[in-house]
Amino acid sequence: MKRSNHVGSRLFIGLVFLFLYLPIFLLIIFSFNAGDSSAVWKGFSLDWYAALFQNRLIMESLYTTLLVSLLATAIATAAGTFAAIGLYSLSKRRRDALLVVNDIPMMNADIVTGVSLCLFFVAFFQGWGAFAQWFNGVQDVVELPVRLTLGFGTMLLAHIAFNIPYVILNVAPKLRQMDKNLVDAAQDLGCTWMQAFWKVILPEIKPGIVSGALIAFTMSIDDFVISYFTAGSSTSTLAMRIYSMTKKRITPEVNAVSTLLFLSVLALLVLNNVREVRQQRRAERQEIREPSFFERLSMRFSQPALRWARRGAAAALACGFIVAVALLTGATYSQPVVNVCSWGEYIDEDLITQFEDQTGIRVNYQTAESNEALYSLLKSGGADYDVIVPSDYMISQLIEEGMLEELDYSQIPNFELIDPRFRGLPYDPENKYTVPYSWGTLGLIYNANMVDEEPDSWGALYDSQYAGSVLLINNSRDALGAALLHLGYSVNTTDEAQIREAFELIAGASRRGVFQGKVMDQVFQKMEGGNAAIATYYAGDYLSMLDNQADGVDLRYVIPEEGANWFVDAMCVLKGAPHYDNALAWINFIASTDANLANMDYIWYASPNTQALEEYPAYYEELYGEELDPELYEIMAAPPEVLERCEMYLALPPATRALYNSLWIELGI
Amino acid sequence: MRNKRGWFAFPYVIWMALFVVIPIVIMAVYAFTVADPATNATQASLDNFTDMGVYLSVFLRSFWLAILATLVCLLVGYPVSYWMAKEGPRFQRVAMALIMLPMWMNFLLRTYSWMSILENNGLLNQLFRAVGLLDLLGVDHIQMIGTSGAVVLGMVYNYLPFMILPIYSVIVKLDGSLLEAARDLGADSARVFSKVIFPLSLPGILSGVTMVFVPSVSTFAISNLLGGGNQMMLGDLIELQFLGGAYNPHLGAAVSMVMMAVVVVCMVVMNHFGEGEEQAVML
Repeated sequence: MKRSNHVGSRLFIGLVFLFLYLPIFLLIIFSFNAGDSSAVWKGFSLDWYAALFQNRLIMESLYTTLLVSLLATAIATAAGTFAAIGLYSLSKRRRDALLVVNDIPMMNADIVTGVSLCLFFVAFFQGWGAFAQWFNGVQDVVELPVRLTLGFGTMLLAHIAFNIPYVILNVAPKLRQMDKNLVDAAQDLGCTWMQAFWKVILPEIKPGIVSGALIAFTMSIDDFVISYFTAGSSTSTLAMRIYSMTKKRITPEVNAVSTLLFLSVLALLVLNNVREVRQQRRAERQEIREPSFFERLSMRFSQPALRWARRGAAAALACGFIVAVALLTGATYSQPVVNVCSWGEYIDEDLITQFEDQTGIRVNYQTAESNEALYSLLKSGGADYDVIVPSDYMISQLIEEGMLEELDYSQIPNFELIDPRFRGLPYDPENKYTVPYSWGTLGLIYNANMVDEEPDSWGALYDSQYAGSVLLINNSRDALGAALLHLGYSVNTTDEAQIREAFELIAGASRRGVFQGKVMDQVFQKMEGGNAAIATYYAGDYLSMLDNQADGVDLRYVIPEEGANWFVDAMCVLKGAPHYDNALAWINFIASTDANLANMDYIWYASPNTQALEEYPAYYEELYGEELDPELYEIMAAPPEVLERCEMYLALPPATRALYNSLWIELGI
Repeated sequence: MRNKRGWFAFPYVIWMALFVVIPIVIMAVYAFTVADPATNATQASLDNFTDMGVYLSVFLRSFWLAILATLVCLLVGYPVSYWMAKEGPRFQRVAMALIMLPMWMNFLLRTYSWMSILENNGLLNQLFRAVGLLDLLGVDHIQMIGTSGAVVLGMVYNYLPFMILPIYSVIVKLDGSLLEAARDLGADSARVFSKVIFPLSLPGILSGVTMVFVPSVSTFAISNLLGGGNQMMLGDLIELQFLGGAYNPHLGAAVSMVMMAVVVVCMVVMNHFGEGEEQAVML
């Protein structure tokens, strides 16, 4: 009876462990996959590990993650230990009150902590900006930076802030258990207070400090939400990088980096366990241990005669540490930099390296999910980008709100290469702020093997016969735009009744279960893998899906009979950009014909560069040894007669934008 | 002499004021003001709270899914902790390490691996196809990703350790003589469990429940990745107002305030049961 119970319980525990570890093992197995799918096994290879070390974005974010976790743990452990000692010498009433505040970050939902810290930093930066301006005005000895932004520093502060409570909570019980008379006894025997601290208190509470540090480190490594809200735009932890990758296409390099992380932690744990077991055995055998080298060293150093040497050494160490950190940060910051924010998979990454080699300017390349998300990021003060690549309607909105800097076109000679068709467009009529990056159309993408008849109307998006296999585009402008076109209205209408009618069309379809989901970049995996039948997306992305479609998937692209939207994405510089000249250098580089050809080939969006547009078919033929399908080329670079049927988005007045926002949220709930 | 050490607490008090109290005050200021979209001028208002009725379904869904996840965690986690505590020290040490280990991989990595398992063309559906289950049911795939079930699964998977660890640490410290006494007094094992072990492990359960419930109710990454954007939760609503497509930090702050109120209620309950939470985090 007893025995079988034992087996049963172990079986249950085993099953739970299987549940915990099966996904991790799958992750590890697929890191050795020769193919790039995380569901289809194509043979063993180590390619992804090789690719991982080449992948700058992932390696940088791994480094950021480790650095922020280690620094936050070290600082929080020291600060938390002292705070705990301090708290325990206060009266119980005061201590309890403070401990309640101490509990707040631990108990609060991560997102609340993240949001409140984000708002705090932004408010502080605003206050600081005003102060610095005033201060720089009244004196000119010291020049204070006026513009502060979220970044590594704020993320580190946030990590320290949520780590300290855990340290205190682990150290506090040890302090409570400690015999208070020990310190008095040590002092009676002639210890100074410092000595008593090092020799009596610290050894007593050491287990608490160690477990506190361990938990702080775990929390830091595991954190995503708080970093997400406090890191701003120019720093990414590994988790943030993966989060933005899950929106598009996750490469197995992520599996490789997870495997390495997992194995190193596993190794550490095993080592630690073995050590503990050994120590226990030794203790059981009452074996007297020879003091280790470090212990002998520290014993020698703790002799009173060496007090000054000791203090000197400590001071030197501290100074060394500070200097090292300053040098390191200085080295990264003194190098010229340009912060670029664009869309996911929207550049041939070789171009970044080329630019860096040519100019010595480091490119900090980040991505945003949509124009609206980019706008939020800019408004919340979280961004310190120099160059952004928003779409037409967002550009006019940004210009209207005075958020863009005028460009010095004398530094962008390649602007001459931009086709006149794409200059002076309605979003920037005098062309003072922008250099076009790419252009294209928004249309219907469908899997011909999953639809009965080929759709040629936006109506297909709301058709019950495709229930469960339609993907709604996850941004209000495009989703409502398609519905407006289907109803025969302008995509730029400000008539609330028309917009509401369009919304009802979408909401009705949503209630009937037509939509499988609202997606942006996830559309790639869904359509390529045959997981959905119809989607709205951009022509260029359709072409890159074609390259990756799975067996049995036959993707087609159509501009519906009601017409569609055509758009231009253009590079702009944000007002007060910290690296204005570098930004112009980057823009000029990207506007060149070579860069446009490379980009066109990589992202499949049409270029606004006249030469590139003309030369591309020849470039393609030379590169791949086969002719470019003219039909595909027309999808990429829509001919004038198609563009005529398409309408460009214009900036909407604030009231209409607010309506779009609230309708959009209503749809989600 | 002891008062001298009281100064050690002073920097931390300032730190807490700066990084805990003031941020929450600022958040409250945001929550109780609205911005005029045209002029960007702010004014005090309760609109953020009074208009929240629209999001009732988001609130209900969040709480419902979080409660489900917490229950599942409790039902799975309690037996695991209980049986673990009964095993030998060696088994316990290894099991503890195995429970902690996944936490050193970021939870997004773990959630991502579930994505590839649950996709329509994912591993699980491939398995079902291979064993003929899909043909049997006459469907092309079983829809798993994008459902509320997937979101609950993701929460259980990520937060189960938070349930196991506090319960385990309470049970393992139970005084064995109490159990003996109960048995000597004639209780069978069911009664020993229901009258002695279970009541004494309540603090662990409570802290486990909060430690699972709070992150579950506020998650946005899990619902985003596994819910396919169909399962909007409170976390998504907040994220949408700050870094997502609908910029309105005032509303986001207001929803956060409501979430904080929930947490405060949890804290009050916890404080009522005293020691529970400290044991929880001490592991």
